[in-house]
Amino acid sequence: MKPLHGLALGAALVALLAFVPKVASGYQLALGISLLYFTVLATAWALFSGPTHYISLATVAFFGIGAYTVAVAGEFMPWPAVLATAGLIGIAVALVVGLSTLRLSGIYFVIFSFGLSELIRQIVSWYEININRSVGRYIFMNITTEQIYWQLLALAAIVLLAGWLIGRSRLGLALRVIGNDEVVARHAGIDTTLAKLAMFAIGALSMTLTGAVMAPRWTYIDAAIAFSPLLSFEVVIMALLGGAGSLFGPLLGAVPLVLLFEVLSANFPSYFSILLGIVFIIIVYMLPRGVIGLFPSTPREVPSAAAPPPQAAPIAAKGAPLEVQGLRKAFGGLVAVDDLSFSIGRGELTGLIGPNGSGKTTVLNLISGALSADSGAIHFKERDLVRVSTHRIARLGVARTFQLVRVLESMPVIDNVMVALAFRRNPLTGMQAEYAAVALLARVSLADKAALPAGQLTYIDQKRLELARALALEPDLLLLDEWLAGLNPTELGEGIALIRSLRDTGLTIILVEHVMDAIRSLCDRVIVMNVGRKIAEGPPASVLADREVVRAYLGDADA
Amino acid sequence: MSLAIDIVLAGAVLGGMYALIAMGLTLQYGVARIMNLSHGESMIAAAFGGLWGFTAFAISPLIGLLVVIPVGFALNWLLYEIVLMPLVKRAKNRAMLEVDSILATFGLLFVLQGGMLVLFGGQFNTMNYLSIPVTVLGQNVALNRLIALLFAVIIGTALYLALTRTRYGTAIRAVAVDPVAAQLVAIDVRKTSAFAFALGGALAAAGGVLIAMFTTFTATMGVVFTMKALIVVIMGGLGNVAGALVAGLMLGLAETAVARLVDPGLTIAVTYALFLIVLLWRPTGLFGRPAR
Repeated sequence: MKPLHGLALGAALVALLAFVPKVASGYQLALGISLLYFTVLATAWALFSGPTHYISLATVAFFGIGAYTVAVAGEFMPWPAVLATAGLIGIAVALVVGLSTLRLSGIYFVIFSFGLSELIRQIVSWYEININRSVGRYIFMNITTEQIYWQLLALAAIVLLAGWLIGRSRLGLALRVIGNDEVVARHAGIDTTLAKLAMFAIGALSMTLTGAVMAPRWTYIDAAIAFSPLLSFEVVIMALLGGAGSLFGPLLGAVPLVLLFEVLSANFPSYFSILLGIVFIIIVYMLPRGVIGLFPSTPREVPSAAAPPPQAAPIAAKGAPLEVQGLRKAFGGLVAVDDLSFSIGRGELTGLIGPNGSGKTTVLNLISGALSADSGAIHFKERDLVRVSTHRIARLGVARTFQLVRVLESMPVIDNVMVALAFRRNPLTGMQAEYAAVALLARVSLADKAALPAGQLTYIDQKRLELARALALEPDLLLLDEWLAGLNPTELGEGIALIRSLRDTGLTIILVEHVMDAIRSLCDRVIVMNVGRKIAEGPPASVLADREVVRAYLGDADA
Repeated sequence: MSLAIDIVLAGAVLGGMYALIAMGLTLQYGVARIMNLSHGESMIAAAFGGLWGFTAFAISPLIGLLVVIPVGFALNWLLYEIVLMPLVKRAKNRAMLEVDSILATFGLLFVLQGGMLVLFGGQFNTMNYLSIPVTVLGQNVALNRLIALLFAVIIGTALYLALTRTRYGTAIRAVAVDPVAAQLVAIDVRKTSAFAFALGGALAAAGGVLIAMFTTFTATMGVVFTMKALIVVIMGGLGNVAGALVAGLMLGLAETAVARLVDPGLTIAVTYALFLIVLLWRPTGLFGRPAR
C-alpha cells in the first residue's frame, strides 16, 4: 500500500469513528473511550519502548500528572490552557527523569520507572492528606462524554500519525539502532542521549495529555486512582501483545485486551484476576512476537547494484593527521595505556601491533571516544578528542570497526550502512542514501546481500559490512581493529587489497593486527606496544627484527 | 536514646523480613535469571499456610516452617520446571528471558492472587502468636517479633554459609556470574538454576510464615513485598546475597526511622526516593560490581 493511500484510508476511518457518539449507547460510548485511551497509551509507550527496548513502567506517572493537573487547574483555567499546562509539566518531568535515568539499562530502568510512579503517587497522596486536608478532589467540568471521545480520537490519530512520521525520520532510525546496539549507534554519529530523550518526552507528552483528557470522566480523583500502577502494566501488556516493534502493533493489542477485560469483569467478577492472569500467560507462550508477528513482513526493497546513478558519491576521503600525546588510561590498578605518544601523517597507513593485552584496542577506544582518557591529548582536526563525545568524534570523521564484530543483527544489511550515511557530517537520506549504501556494499562485495538481515551474514561478511558502515561515515581516519583476523588465505588476499585501495584514496588508517604478512605488505610504519607503552616505532622490516619487539612477543629465549 | 533503640529494634525486625524475601528474589533473578513478579504471592501463600495450620490444628508457626519451607521449595521447583522452562529454552539471550519472565510471572501474580482471594477472601488476617511483650534494652517488644528476627538471622546466615562454604553453593554463585562459563566447568546450569529458583521460593515461604506471626496481612499484599524485595535486590546488587541482607536491613531501618521521626505517611515515598538516589549514584547497586 502506498503511503498516501494509507493516509487517506486512515483519515476516512477517523472520520467514520467520529460519528460513533451519534449512534452509540452510553455503554458503547464508554467502551469506545476505553478502547481509545488504551490505544493512545499503548502506542505512545511503544513509540519509545518499542525500538529502544527500554521497558518503562512510568506510564501512569505521566497519565496521573495529566489527570491531576486537570483536577487542580481545571476550574480556573480555560480548557486549552489546562491541556497546555499539563503537557508542559509532563515534558518537564520526562526531561528531568530522562536525563538522569536513560543511562540505566535493562531491569534497572524498569524498576526505576516503577519507583518513580510510586514516588509521585506517595507524594501526591501525602500532600493531599497532610497539607490539603482531604483525600482527593472533585472534578466538575462542562465536558461531555462525547467531547472526551472526540478528543481521544483526535489524540489517537495524532499519535499514530506522529509515530508514522517518526518511523520514517532520522529519529526513528536512530532509535532502532540504539535498540540494536547503543555502542554502534554512538560510533555511527548518533547522539544517543538526545534521541532517547526526545522520544521519551514525546511519549510522555502523549500520555500526559491522555490523562488530562480522561480526567473529567471521573467526578472524583485521588492519588490512588490517578496513579494506579496497574495501568502501567496493562499498557505494557497491550503493547507487547500487539507487538511493540511496529506502529500498529499496540493498537492490535489494546483492542482485544480492553474487550477481554470488559467481558471478564462483567461476567466473572470474582474470578477476574485469575482469568486475566491465565490469558496473560497464554499470550506470553503463544504469541512471543505479538499479534503483528503473525503477519508476514514485507522484505526490504533495495535498489539494484548494477545501475547506481552517477551522483552516487564515491568515497571522497581527504585524510587527516592524528597526534597522540602522553595518553594514559587505567582500569583500577591496571594501566592499559601508559604515557603513549605518536603521530600519524595524512594518508599514512600505520600498524599498531603488540602482544595480546598490550593496550592496542584501548588506544582505538580512546581515539574513537568509546573510552575517555585519564590524561593526555588526542589532536585531530584542531580538536582534542579526549573531551569530545563519541558521536561527535564519528561526525568529525573517525570511523572504526570492532574487534568482536558488531552489526545491527535485526536490521537489513543496507540499513546498517544507511545509519552511518544518515548521521555523518553531511548526511544523506532517501534514495540518494540508498544508492550510496549500495555502492559502498558493492565496494566490499556485499551488494547482492543488501536486503538480508545482517544477523544472517557469515562472520566474514559481517566484517565486510562493518567496514562498509565505517566508510559510510566518509571518514578521514579509519581505525581497523583486527579486521583481517579469521580470514582464510584467499579472503586475506582480498582484504589486504581492499585496505590498500582505501589507503590509495588518501585515507589515514590505523591497523591493529596480528597478521604479520598484512602488516609487512601494507604498513608504511608500525608502532609496537607492550604493557601499555610504546616500545618501538619505524618501518615494518626493521621494527619486526628489533630485539625488544621479539622479546615482547616470544619471550627472552628467542630474543 | 530510647527512641533510637526502638527504631533500631523495630527496624531490624522489619529489615530482617525484607532481607529474607529479597535473598529469595536475588537467588531467583541472579542465578535462574527469572524476574519473578509473583514472588510476593509465594510469600503470602505461605503466610496463609502458616495461619491455617495455626488456627485449624493449633500447630505453632515455627513448627509449621518445617512443612512450609519444603512445600515452598517443591512448588517453586515445579513452577520453574513446568511453567518457566519453555521460556528459558526459547530465550535467545538474557534480555529476552528477562522480558518473557516479567510478563509470564506478572500473569502468574494475578492467578495466584485471584486464587487466594477466592479461597481466603479479602479481609485482614492476624495470627496473634506469642504476642507477649518482653523488655529488651528498656524497650517493650513483642516476643513474636524477636523470634521472627532470630529465625530470619539464622536462615540468612545459613544460606550465606551454604553459598560460600559448600561445593554446591559455589556452583550456584558460578552460574550467577556467568551461566555459559559455568557449563564449561561441568556445572549443570539447568539443574542449578532450578534449584536456586526453588530455594528462593522456599526463602519467600519462610518469610511469609514469619511475617504472619506478628503482622496483619491480606491476599493482595504480595505485590508490596515483591516491590520492596526488588528494591532491596537492586540496592544490594543483583545476585548478591550478602548485599540483599545488608540492603534489606537498611531499608527496614530507614522506613522505621522515617515513620517514627518524620511522618508515617511518608515512609514509602522516602523509601523510593532513597532507592532512586542509590540507583542514580551507583547504577549497579550499593554492592554490585561496577559496570565497565
